[in-house]
Amino acid sequence: MFQIFRRLWALNWAEQWQYRANLLMYLLFWLVAPIVYLAVWTTVARTQGSVNGLTASDFAAYYMVLLVVDVLTSQITIHVLAPEIQNGNLSNRLLLPVHPVLTQVLVNNIAFKALNLIALAPIWLALYLLFRPALNLSVLYLALAVPALVLAFGILFLLGAALTLVAFWTTRVWALWNFYSAVFMLFAGHFVPLALLPPLLQTIAKALPFSYTLYFPIQLILGKLAPQEVAINFGMQIVWLALACVIFRVTWRAGVRQFSAVGA
Amino acid sequence: MARPASPAFGANGTPPIVVEELSKTYKVTDREGGFGAAVRSFFKRKFKDVRAVQRVSFQIGQGEIVGFLGPNGAGKTTTLKMLSGLLYPTSGSAQVLGYTPWERQAGYLRSMTLVMGQRNRLAWDVPAADSFLLNKAIYRISDDEYKRSFQELDDLLELGPIIRKPVRNLSLGERMKCELAASLLHRPSVLFLDEPTIGLDVGAQSRIRAFLKEYNRRNGATIILTSHYMADVVALCERVIIIHHGELRYDGGLSELSRRIAPYKIISVHLGGCDDCALESYGVVLPGEDETGKKRLQVPADQVPAITARLLAEQPVQDLTIEDPPIEDVIERAFNEPLRN
Repeated sequence: MFQIFRRLWALNWAEQWQYRANLLMYLLFWLVAPIVYLAVWTTVARTQGSVNGLTASDFAAYYMVLLVVDVLTSQITIHVLAPEIQNGNLSNRLLLPVHPVLTQVLVNNIAFKALNLIALAPIWLALYLLFRPALNLSVLYLALAVPALVLAFGILFLLGAALTLVAFWTTRVWALWNFYSAVFMLFAGHFVPLALLPPLLQTIAKALPFSYTLYFPIQLILGKLAPQEVAINFGMQIVWLALACVIFRVTWRAGVRQFSAVGA
Repeated sequence: MARPASPAFGANGTPPIVVEELSKTYKVTDREGGFGAAVRSFFKRKFKDVRAVQRVSFQIGQGEIVGFLGPNGAGKTTTLKMLSGLLYPTSGSAQVLGYTPWERQAGYLRSMTLVMGQRNRLAWDVPAADSFLLNKAIYRISDDEYKRSFQELDDLLELGPIIRKPVRNLSLGERMKCELAASLLHRPSVLFLDEPTIGLDVGAQSRIRAFLKEYNRRNGATIILTSHYMADVVALCERVIIIHHGELRYDGGLSELSRRIAPYKIISVHLGGCDDCALESYGVVLPGEDETGKKRLQVPADQVPAITARLLAEQPVQDLTIEDPPIEDVIERAFNEPLRN
């Protein structure tokens, strides 16, 4: 298995590198939203002194960490897999004695992430100098963030893949994807830190997986969580990872069956 | 239905490919063109059953190369996809190397390959060599085995420098060579080849053919091949299976097919100083002449010696040749005429 990942990595890295201009455009497009929120909230906090106890510097810290956490945990499976399903190219991958999503698509996501991080670094540094966030990082929380980020990526990767598999049944999977993304942005803490949401929305956020994949790692890195909260959030991550596994497995089986019923 | 008396058997006593009553029916939406029809079909969809493959049965012995023939839409690709595990059949069964293909067990996927001439399995933006190494890992080919396999494929296909160019920069012929090599590195013992020479020039076609024959000879691989180029079939397949409208029409030797479908031969004669020599009395005069001015006569196979003798005795014959009917004609007839058992 290690050999497969090594070869896939070499191949995907080379391929992504061919499309580096493309990738940079994607990154810049994706950066627009968080930077706008960052600018808006720091301005609001500065004029009012603070919003619900959060200062301009707190907002800056939140969004600066969000940028990194989001690159590390987000996934682009729909862009890779949906076209393959729709044009029938997935057939080629189904002929191989390995799971196409858990090998090829997974490594593709990771290679994309790695290149994105490299491109993000100088931009992040420039933003840091501009906004001067209040970042008090501790080694302990950063160490705890590693498993939190891995679990978060696992959850989002499997859920994103399961959603992409809807392409087996309908060509309108992109509409569904846009809806999913909007729900994610709201309940993960993208638009605004979850603590500022109305209580009802906060309750909904707790029932959905997204806050555990973005808001939790950010708060963990910022050192805002009590030990008990950290434990509960890790617990929820594990529950959601297990659920995501089941959802993915069921969709995959049904999808491949559908694919091979109508003509691959 | 003609069947070869006994297909060669594999090690465990059963032929590597056994297909019984295999059927595949697609459900497709059925609607007329136009806006009204589109709206109606949104509320009430009509489905139509398309019977792509109907109760097809055959067995193929180890090391056989079988031509799988039929017009477009006959069900050839559907059958190959079922046998390679990409499609679930509607009914019937198939065993390939003892596996049920559509269960897609890793052991099965590791011992077969499907090559589709119109599909690309290589990563597009990087050299084929990188895809080869990925396949080496995926199929768990050891270093030694890989070296031997690659050497052999390089020998036969003359891969040389083309595997170091990005795949997107290769010509169609070069890409096809790489596709074949990538599909065979793990030395599959069963090969399904769907139009492996499509779009290639004559030279490239004959090189691919020679390669397949040699691969079959060296590895004892069992091969099912579809092609619209009869030259492929004549060069590679002693046995052909013909399907049409999803039904099996013929299963047997290629030469026997000629004898049964077209029990006649073509006599071409070049006559000196005779423009209208009433050749009709010898056989059916085919329209047109060939480029050297020869007339062509179609005569029943069993009367060839007698008619030739008469021609030579009665006409000023300068040159005479006897040929089998063109294979394209035979196959065309086989598609269209019901075959006697």
